Amino acid sequence: MTEHSRPSGPSRRRLLRAAVAGGTVATAAACAGPGTTRGPRPGTGAPSDVPPPVSGRATDHISFAHWRAEDKKILGELIDDFTRRNPGSKVRQDISPAQDYQANALQRLKNGSIGDVLTAFRGAQFADMLKAGLFTELSAQTFADEYLPHYSRGGRDEAGRLFGLPYQLVFPMPLANRDLLEKAGYDKAPQNWDAYLDLCDKLKSRGKVPLAWPGAEPGNAGQLFNAMVMNNAPGDDACARIASGKAKVTDDWFLKVLDQYAQLRPFVQQKAGGTQVEPAQQMFAKGTAAMLATGSYHMAAVRQLGAKFPIELVPPITVDKGERPRYVGTHNATFILGVNAAGKHSTTALRFIEYLSDPAVAGRYANGTAQHLTVAGVTYKDKDLRDTQHWLERRTMLAPRYQIEDIDMLNAVEGACAKVLTGTSAGKAAEAAQRVVDQRRPG
Amino acid sequence: MSAPSTVRTGPAPTPARGTSAGRPRKHRGWRQRFGHPAFYLFPLPALVVYVIFFAVPTVQAFQYAVTDWDGYSAGYRSVGLDNFEQLARGDDLFVNAMTNSLKFMLVVVVFQTLFSLVLASMLLRNSRSSTLLRAVFFLPTILSSVSVAFVWKFIYDPNFGLANSALKSVGLDSLTSSFLGDEGKAIYFLAITQVWFHTGQMMVIFIAGLQQIPRELYEAAAIDGVGRWQRFRHVTWPMIAPATGIVIAYTTIQSFKAFDLVLGLGGNPPQGSLDILSTRIYTSFADSRFGYAAAESIVFMAVIALVTLIQRRTVKLTQSGA
Repeated sequence: MTEHSRPSGPSRRRLLRAAVAGGTVATAAACAGPGTTRGPRPGTGAPSDVPPPVSGRATDHISFAHWRAEDKKILGELIDDFTRRNPGSKVRQDISPAQDYQANALQRLKNGSIGDVLTAFRGAQFADMLKAGLFTELSAQTFADEYLPHYSRGGRDEAGRLFGLPYQLVFPMPLANRDLLEKAGYDKAPQNWDAYLDLCDKLKSRGKVPLAWPGAEPGNAGQLFNAMVMNNAPGDDACARIASGKAKVTDDWFLKVLDQYAQLRPFVQQKAGGTQVEPAQQMFAKGTAAMLATGSYHMAAVRQLGAKFPIELVPPITVDKGERPRYVGTHNATFILGVNAAGKHSTTALRFIEYLSDPAVAGRYANGTAQHLTVAGVTYKDKDLRDTQHWLERRTMLAPRYQIEDIDMLNAVEGACAKVLTGTSAGKAAEAAQRVVDQRRPG
Repeated sequence: MSAPSTVRTGPAPTPARGTSAGRPRKHRGWRQRFGHPAFYLFPLPALVVYVIFFAVPTVQAFQYAVTDWDGYSAGYRSVGLDNFEQLARGDDLFVNAMTNSLKFMLVVVVFQTLFSLVLASMLLRNSRSSTLLRAVFFLPTILSSVSVAFVWKFIYDPNFGLANSALKSVGLDSLTSSFLGDEGKAIYFLAITQVWFHTGQMMVIFIAGLQQIPRELYEAAAIDGVGRWQRFRHVTWPMIAPATGIVIAYTTIQSFKAFDLVLGLGGNPPQGSLDILSTRIYTSFADSRFGYAAAESIVFMAVIALVTLIQRRTVKLTQSGA
């Protein structure tokens, strides 16, 4: 077709182009994103009125959104029991992979179509969900009294109001093979830094890897940070101060932490920086490594891998000889349970949480998952849980790594420790981390 | 739109199909001018998909990139070009990811193109053994990237992995490594996995390109006494230049977009050694910096476009110079 034979007016191609352009603009305008509000950010979204204690029967169908696929079976049994006790009610488990839940849960939960009962990771996710107004305040609920009071901090807002119930309790500090420690001459865990290094030295001289450290996986590799910081930090909020810019990674106390990391270099396995968590667990389970630098949440996993020895939690106590440590260990209250403020069945949701808060029910969950719980009066039947139950009463610090809520900041600060452990100088690692912290700090 | 000119110059127009010569245009019906209305329904589904899944997100990315939206709040604040300014000022993490992406892309493009071309040349003939080998080399391509990542995770494991065990068994202990935990080299080990994963796919494109070359050209070259290298230089290479262009462009885009492989290989070690642009953007999204992540996505898109453009130009120049 020549130029002159083209019909006058718009051609089919032009019309199509116009339709595409028009459609794009119209649809884009219709989907104008997160609202058209411009100006200051909205408030925290947390309601100011405290909802009264739950009353009424559980008769609705609700969704329980979580990432604990490994708990599906035991939760299913508990849900069956709950629905038997509450005719007409139904609870559906909406399970996402942990990483997916970490990244997308907030967006999925905010319209209330799933997650009448919701869960949150402690730290950034809980803070974000709280800010988005997703959690219903639980301060007035009587079932909140079933919980050990000192473990509830992770579920409170800055004003101390209770929005979530940290359900599962883990102790993020190294697991130790008690047999190997005893053979190295340590019937009791070392209580200062020199003794800890001496223990590592003795274990190494016996052909063992003192500390298996999964350096390739930040989530697990970072757990050592908690114990290394707990007695070095000038205050309980030291990591929060780093995040807010009031303290620096290059401060003396943090450089001391890094120097101590450097002293651990000979005591982690070869090429530790590339080790995933599974091989580190294997090393510990087989007795090649005497300690595993992750946490109590791996006790069940190493048992499944065939570990037969008694397990104890042995964190590095970084104080000098003769000095009294502020903390003897760290804990983290993960799996924060809450009721979705956007959900339509809050009575049933609250009743379900009330049910899970019953010590007998909580005991079934704890023994079914081999994890400690923050619910008081739970009877632990699992031997490892019983053996480490004494940690519930000890002076442990709420894991400080979660005070840094920005993922990049956290990776930079923990990454500095990892770099030092694998060979970088403390000063260089600290400066690099501080640069990232400065860039990531708002304002 | 301006009215069509009635003044015509040059030769008389050829009558359009379905119109009569000399018949005044204004009398032609809508259907004659624009075709049957049903015509417009055919592209509609594709158009809807395109608009919803490509056009709208692209427009929205630009919209979010100038805000401080956190991904969930009902409102947001316009911050102008602050996000881009922060990127331009040299965000350490973004620069690290960009450097890693470029290193990764270069290694993958060079080695994947080279290996796939060599394999295609070797397996060009139709014989039983070459058919079998083609299937073997193509096999990784049909696997999911997550499976590939898990397999290589076990190969690279520094303590129990196949790679270190193999090196030790042949006395090459000095070459053992922590692979993905090695800050300086991790990205290259990631590239090895990517090359292994996709070389078979590129090999198929090259085989198709090589099979299109007329045998007569080689026969003529043989008669002229041309050697093997000269044959490749003056016959094969120019003839497969289009296939090479496709392979390079595809490999570039594929390597920039590698994401599931990185996550499957164990996320990002603490040193940030495996952080590439796609994982960096993902981290920003996960960290509730939606606006900033959108700005990073736009820069990412621009980088891919630029690199692809440079490559297309280079391939064109090579073709014209060949």
